[in-house]
Amino acid sequence: MVTADGAHDGGIAHGDLLIRFANAVLGNDGVELAAAREAIAEAMGGPALTDTAAVAALFNAIDRVADSTGIPLEDAKATATADFRAAIGVDRFAAAGEKGA
Amino acid sequence: MTEISYQQLAWPVRDEVTQAHQRSWRRLARPGSWLTGAERLAVAAEARHALDCPLCQRRKDALSPRIVEGEHDSLGALSAAEVEQIHHIRTDPGRLTRDWYEGLRQAGIGEERYVETVGVIANTVAIDTFCKGLGLPPWPLPEAEPGEPSRRRPAAASHRLAWVPTLAPEDAVGTDDADLYAGRPTAAHIYQAMSLVPEEVKGFFDLVLNQYLPPQAMADFDNEYRAINHAQIELVAGRISALNQCVY
Repeated sequence: MVTADGAHDGGIAHGDLLIRFANAVLGNDGVELAAAREAIAEAMGGPALTDTAAVAALFNAIDRVADSTGIPLEDAKATATADFRAAIGVDRFAAAGEKGA
Repeated sequence: MTEISYQQLAWPVRDEVTQAHQRSWRRLARPGSWLTGAERLAVAAEARHALDCPLCQRRKDALSPRIVEGEHDSLGALSAAEVEQIHHIRTDPGRLTRDWYEGLRQAGIGEERYVETVGVIANTVAIDTFCKGLGLPPWPLPEAEPGEPSRRRPAAASHRLAWVPTLAPEDAVGTDDADLYAGRPTAAHIYQAMSLVPEEVKGFFDLVLNQYLPPQAMADFDNEYRAINHAQIELVAGRISALNQCVY
């Protein structure tokens, strides 16, 4: 549930800080974003912060490429991930019916 | 010409990220395959403007975006259909539908211009979101360079994979676009998504390789390539995609 509800760290080091940053960078609360940024810089270091920002920003873009062109998930990936996609709620996303996931 | 630099930040940005952003900004200003430099910059500006569009906000808040009628608050440089494309992709990507895409086609948007516009939006979002994350304002858009688009479409593109036509790796063999897949027999669907306009694939994946990971590093779990490890990278990527309700 870590990526779907954003309330856990997923058992990953500093996962709570990374999720907080991801939530904040897509949100509209500048104060929270600044706090999330500082928390990563303090706990993980500056290079970790800028690489986190790079990944978050890239996926904010790549999601739009996928969703606006209508590409389906590859069959092998769909089969391999069917159980946990259902478990974490991805199959309930509006786009699931559009992309055959 | 704006030259992107992150040297003023308190935290170090990898040189390859800065250089990829500089290349992206230069491409943005040049004539593309189907859009002029001025049109590409108009798309980028409209993508930014969409974030303050009241209609987009009402649609985002609605149970279905289709039940909310009205006009977009636009900058006025592009057609209504182009503005609809840009605003919807920028503000509510998880609820795009094939019917919506077909509606834009019927409204006169060519499939090649549609795909190139997707590429421009993606580049703009990747760099603007990076800046936002690090507390920087968006970079000023560059000045448009003169010239006409090449209007070159891969002859072997087909309607087999996605809403938009794509060039399959096996169909690219022996064509002018063979370099897109460098001889590989297969490619992830996300790599094929914009292959109707090969230059947009090459440009966007320059950002992918440098902001995320190169292909050989993705599954190399014996080594780490960034200041955050594989698990941390995928956690961030997965959370962003969940927030965007992206099923890919």
